[in-house]
Amino acid sequence: MIGWLRHQKHALIAALHRLRVQPIATLLTALAMGVAISLPSGLYLALGNLGRLVGDLPAQPEISVFLDADAPAAHRQAIAGRLQQPDIAQARYVSKEDALAALSAAQDLANIAAGLTQNPLPDAWVVRSRAGSREELARVAADLARLPGVAETHLDSQWAERLQAALAIGRTGVWLLAGLFAIALVAISGNAIRALVLARRDEIQVSRLIGATDRYIRRPFLYLGALQGLLGGLAAGGVLALAGWVLRAPIERLAGLYGSTFQLLPPTEAEIAVVLGLTTLFGWLGAWLTVRRTLRQGMATR
Amino acid sequence: MIGFSQVTKRYPGGHEALSGVDLAIEQGELVFLTGHSGAGKSTLLKLIAAIERPTSGVVSVSGQNINRLSRRAVPYLRRNIGLVFQDHKLLFDRNVIDNVMLPLDIAGFERRESLKRARAVIDKVGLLKREKANPISLSGGEQQRLCIARALVSRPALLLADEPTGNLDAGYAADIMAMFRDFHQVGTTLVIATHDERAITALGGRTLHLDHGKVAEVAA
Repeated sequence: MIGWLRHQKHALIAALHRLRVQPIATLLTALAMGVAISLPSGLYLALGNLGRLVGDLPAQPEISVFLDADAPAAHRQAIAGRLQQPDIAQARYVSKEDALAALSAAQDLANIAAGLTQNPLPDAWVVRSRAGSREELARVAADLARLPGVAETHLDSQWAERLQAALAIGRTGVWLLAGLFAIALVAISGNAIRALVLARRDEIQVSRLIGATDRYIRRPFLYLGALQGLLGGLAAGGVLALAGWVLRAPIERLAGLYGSTFQLLPPTEAEIAVVLGLTTLFGWLGAWLTVRRTLRQGMATR
Repeated sequence: MIGFSQVTKRYPGGHEALSGVDLAIEQGELVFLTGHSGAGKSTLLKLIAAIERPTSGVVSVSGQNINRLSRRAVPYLRRNIGLVFQDHKLLFDRNVIDNVMLPLDIAGFERRESLKRARAVIDKVGLLKREKANPISLSGGEQQRLCIARALVSRPALLLADEPTGNLDAGYAADIMAMFRDFHQVGTTLVIATHDERAITALGGRTLHLDHGKVAEVAA
């Protein structure tokens, strides 16, 4: 056990030493990894912030219920009755005359309204539901739409819902991207380690002749891969911090124009830890795959 | 300690380096392998260290059948064998003492202990003053002594040397051979492939002559 720990320590020190004696190569590899990782993690952060923006929207979106032009009085009565029920917080009737008057009052649209020979607008109810969630709201809207005499309902929160759906696609995209870039990470790490293995062929051969196990030979390279992955993760953090710093002022200005105090949120500590852990793991994996293959080939040639 | 029974080694391409070799080397013996280049001296040593496997026949070292040794067991066999190469196989990215410490590092020794042992063996081969030097700055004879130090640092029971004086002038060669005699005297088994006739007569010991893959005992 103590011997094992000693071997781990030696390997770690050797790996750190090798990274230090090749600062340029180390830096370039870390940068390549960092850029690769910053794409999915940056997208993840952007989506998280956008999702938060949607979550911040004023609650109680309104449902517009448009009536059929030729709806009989009985249907209109039934609809008014339905709107008395406890799931409705508030309902306001807007007759087509009121709607046309409002349209004429709006300056830009006055010309259009003046040119109309007859009123094309429907009578409508503007309804505020007690529904808490988007799903409930949608159910109430659908319920109202099924009433006889209702032409259609319009949910004002629809754009938010569409954005949510788009965000869901975006999140799936993040995972796809993350998968692809994990493969890229393994490849970058594997390639960097392969160069190091080839550069140390003599040492590997001699070590084998004097009794080194494959595990002994592999160990420093695995540490190298893991450290390189960790550095890549840190580089990604640097790239994102830089991007956040650059974007911060313009985003806050834009938010200010909309009267919002929206701010970019940095990733949480747990998220940072997960990303660093994963990059370390994939760096290690790349090293493991390469070293295993290279050592096997080495055996075959001797 | 070492036994060959009807050992044949044929390389891909058909060259037969050893054909039906039988031999036995006891613990503590000093054995010279002679024969012209390509007679199979190196192959014989490689079979003992499990660097090569026999095509047929049985090679046994310290009671272990080399043929049946798994890939994982080979490193542990080699830790008991000191190897001295004609081309030294030193590592030029580290200094003298670190080269000597490599086998101890591999075996998992504590650094302080391996430093002590490495110093002792470097002293024995007369390189203590050069311990911080890079081996590339050493002369051929010094490099060979360093290679011997590395082979001996883990105190192996068996030392295999392939043409240890092949590239050295007579003075250095005599030094090296004197060193081998000392190790023989403290009980190490030595198998030395060489065609340095003077060394053989100077040291005495048993001589096996290889010719076209066959071994013949040479009367002393």
